[in-house]
Amino acid sequence: MGKIIVKDLFETTGKDDEIIVAGRNINEAKRLARPYKAKRVKAAYADVGNIESLTRAIGRAGIVIHAVHHEFNINVMKACLKTNSHYIDLGGLYHYTKEQLKLHKNFERKGLTAVIGMGAAPGITNVLAKHASKDLDKVDSIDIRLGSKDFSTYKRESPLSNTYSVQTLLEEFSWKPAVFINGKAKFIEPMSGREKYKFPNPVGLQKPQYTIHSEIATLPYTLKAENVTFKIAFDDDFFNKIKTLRDLGLTSNDKTMGKETKDIEITTEILKRLPKALPRISRGYEIIRVIVRGKKDSKQTEIIADAHVKAENELIDKDTGVPPSITAKMIADRKITKRGVFPPEEIIPIEEFIGELGKRNIYIRKYQKNKQR
Amino acid sequence: MDFAVLGATGDEGRIASKYLIENGHSVLLCGRNPSSIASLIKNKKARFAYTDLNDIGRTAATLRKSGAKIALNCAEFTMNINAMKACLTAGLNYLDLGGLHEMTIRQYKLDREFKKRNLFALLGCGSTPGISNVMAAYAVSKLDSVEHIELGFAWKSNMKSFVVPYSIESIVYELTTPPTILKDGKFKKAQACSAEGITHFKGIGRQNTYCIVHSEVFTFYKYFKNKGLRNIHYKAGFPEHSHNTINTLIRLGFASKEPIEVNKAKVRPIDFTKKVLKKIKMPDGYKEFEDIWVKVDGERNKKKIRIEMDCLGKTLKGWEFAGSNVNTGMTIAIMAELLDREVIKGKGVAAPEAAVPPLEFFEELKRHGFKLYMDNKAI
Repeated sequence: MGKIIVKDLFETTGKDDEIIVAGRNINEAKRLARPYKAKRVKAAYADVGNIESLTRAIGRAGIVIHAVHHEFNINVMKACLKTNSHYIDLGGLYHYTKEQLKLHKNFERKGLTAVIGMGAAPGITNVLAKHASKDLDKVDSIDIRLGSKDFSTYKRESPLSNTYSVQTLLEEFSWKPAVFINGKAKFIEPMSGREKYKFPNPVGLQKPQYTIHSEIATLPYTLKAENVTFKIAFDDDFFNKIKTLRDLGLTSNDKTMGKETKDIEITTEILKRLPKALPRISRGYEIIRVIVRGKKDSKQTEIIADAHVKAENELIDKDTGVPPSITAKMIADRKITKRGVFPPEEIIPIEEFIGELGKRNIYIRKYQKNKQR
Repeated sequence: MDFAVLGATGDEGRIASKYLIENGHSVLLCGRNPSSIASLIKNKKARFAYTDLNDIGRTAATLRKSGAKIALNCAEFTMNINAMKACLTAGLNYLDLGGLHEMTIRQYKLDREFKKRNLFALLGCGSTPGISNVMAAYAVSKLDSVEHIELGFAWKSNMKSFVVPYSIESIVYELTTPPTILKDGKFKKAQACSAEGITHFKGIGRQNTYCIVHSEVFTFYKYFKNKGLRNIHYKAGFPEHSHNTINTLIRLGFASKEPIEVNKAKVRPIDFTKKVLKKIKMPDGYKEFEDIWVKVDGERNKKKIRIEMDCLGKTLKGWEFAGSNVNTGMTIAIMAELLDREVIKGKGVAAPEAAVPPLEFFEELKRHGFKLYMDNKAI
């Protein structure tokens, strides 16, 4: 994901803007920075597990985009508070999001902004929820549905066709998903609620399921919704494979091999080593749908906001990599000036954000049900 | 001690040991993890000895000290040579559960050593290899010449819950190693786990079969080539839910023996998988059914004849923990008893088709709940 972010930053920021590619593997960071052939793209060593190393790497950076795993969100936020840097991340899988929001005052006092959960989902989803809710006087429910279809042809297929972090996927399949029902958050069975749902073409019929997601940690409060749910669709083959691993106990928090390591960590490492797919032609389509129901002029109304993500010879994950880059530029250009810790729906200038997505072939369509706009 | 069981703490070793102890024999239980057989160790007829088969010298000393005359090796097949060498040093007769193709060839190289010491090593004494070999010998004995033998196993359970069918290491090896088949009188490599279509099995029903590596291909040719045998094909039948689960584990790298680093510690995925799978509990009321089958094509009185042999086993009362593994663990114990009673005799290294008297052996199996058929008629 970091690679997509760096590419978008390089293509959209000014010639005087410096980009630091930071990671634990300095050689990999250098390898990533080199093709830009620009002095403003630099590599640095940083270990997100170590705040000292982070503050050294961040240095004078005005804005930090954190694309490592969510368990390090708090560490990186604390480092940003030390270096007086604004902060953006890709999500906190509900539980970390709750913790991150507690740092609001710290960021506000320092005159800093943290935008948390600013990828595709969370991220675009939150902005779409706000976008749709603006057409209503009162919001009752928000249902988020994600579906995608891969149209690529492959020289070599991977045994597991995941499009984002293996660790996040395994956690999404094993942690109890949060849903907000009748004004209360509750946790339900992992992988439950899988049922057929028809997305607009070309994605079509999919089977979304509940997974743990950070939208549930913020939207009920920011948009005053009584019901909020999140479902994402995985194809049958992928679903069955991960379900098998989960059912066998390979994704549990047990420490079968000793005190230090959880089983889910070993499984993550095993899956990370699988051969990657080699596409001949890379082509994909994703639809991020947010359905907001509520009252408008005392009438029950349903607003649907869809993000259509088309990827041609690029990764479909661009919808996660692009939003933090857009947000960083908005902070740098002082289009975002609120200070503190915010989820996207509270801070992103909607129309401008949608315009920026459009420049990257991500199009938003909003309509009232049975009434296309 | 009457018998020593190597690998007594594993699934098959536990079954063989329980059988021998319950039949009044004294047994030395050799293994590394006594906690898995705590209830067996409590029996007056049993004694536990920590044994690491990587250390041949110490294993031999343990065996010699026990006074046992027969060792049953129920450890992983990769340990077969070490176990045989320990028995040679200690002066014990030897039985095991099979070595697939390559290991079996290596084991036969110890034939002269066993003969020199007046000892007998009987290789492949479980369900298959084991029962299958004796059934094949019985069928072959009814024919003047033999052209083709097909054999294998098929099993099912009354629930679609995944329970590890037998040693996960053996299963992975069988499903990922290109099998050796005998075709037109020559050994040839086939594609690993190639699909062989759907077959109807006695007591099991229709099932997908896969060509896998097994030791019978080598030993049948060794003992039956003088009858004209030119083709041998081994087929495994797994219920779909079990095959899919194992296949997923293999495809996703969970059967790899290459160590990976996690939190600065080295872990072999196969060891991790094995340990996690061990924690899977058999659901209440779970039962397994197995058909060990052999089809022999040949001639009698110049007429082409096919003889079909089947041995049906199932989860037995009092052995619910073992599922159909009882067919393997109990069979090696039965053969060990027959060797002790000198019903089975021999020197050097041999497989059951060359040394086990079929009818006496079938009677023992029947006494313990197995059902045997020749051409669909009960034997």
